[in-house]
Amino acid sequence: MSDHLKLHTDGEDAEITRGLRLLYAAPTDDGYWRSLEARILSRLTTAPSIAWWDELDRWMRPALAAAAVIVLAAGVAMFRANQAEEIVTYEAMLTPTALPVETAVRPVLQGQRDATFRYLMTPR
Amino acid sequence: MTAAISLPQFQRPVRADETSGMSERDYVIAAQKGSDSAFAALVRLHERRAYAVARAIVLSHEDAEDAVQDGFLHAYRALDRFRPDQPFGAWLNRIVANAALDLVRRRKVRDADELPETVALPFRDPGESDELRRRLGDALTKLSDRQRAVIVLHDVEGYTHGEIGSMLGIPEGTARSDLHHARAALRRLLKNLRSDS
Repeated sequence: MSDHLKLHTDGEDAEITRGLRLLYAAPTDDGYWRSLEARILSRLTTAPSIAWWDELDRWMRPALAAAAVIVLAAGVAMFRANQAEEIVTYEAMLTPTALPVETAVRPVLQGQRDATFRYLMTPR
Repeated sequence: MTAAISLPQFQRPVRADETSGMSERDYVIAAQKGSDSAFAALVRLHERRAYAVARAIVLSHEDAEDAVQDGFLHAYRALDRFRPDQPFGAWLNRIVANAALDLVRRRKVRDADELPETVALPFRDPGESDELRRRLGDALTKLSDRQRAVIVLHDVEGYTHGEIGSMLGIPEGTARSDLHHARAALRRLLKNLRSDS
């Protein structure tokens, strides 16, 4: 390290600061600043104004995004409701229906043959 | 560069009787009442500082000019909401800093795969470059955007940590910490150069 360089480990470094000042030096020519001023002022007059439709335009994108989210949520809700309905229907088809009462009870035996059968089966 | 610019409303120069003896607050109030010449006077008063703030944040002179123009445009449109008892310069610098930060973000998105190799040197001074400046330009690209802005605003422009924090929307302590880390990083990155010299 050369002797003329002074490093301050906890503060500003004179040489780096000098380099930064050279690097970031603003133009010194007054003509440049007059030109920049003119461009700034020109920009104020040429830039599109903010009217109510511009404000509307500013809100357009969030509004569209919100609408898309709502549509998506509604679609998901409808899909789920439809799916649940299908499951209920499917399960209803798989579950055996209860037999009619007439078929569930033992049929009433009638006729001669049945009377003989009943006689034979009756314990004495 | 200057001659061909047309100024539909602002072409009339600010006359001495309109501006003499007027304070910045007077200009602000007049501009809020619709005086274009008063706003032109505010531009003239603050454009250099605004440029310095923008230049500390963006990587090139051209981007700094764009940020300054954007900043003044935003300020012009928001002038009704500004309270004249506040310092106009601080308010404007915050707006310009935001415009510059916004520009940096947009540039990053656009130029994601072609990062600049160095910080652009001053446009007007190509002959003055030396090894330190070249290496410094390289080293500055190694800092984060915020660290670079903080060290330039503090060491070059002389803003306090609090002012920098206010401009960049960060706490004062963060600005202080960024400055410390930026200085340490630059010292480390430029160490070889110093050893060589």
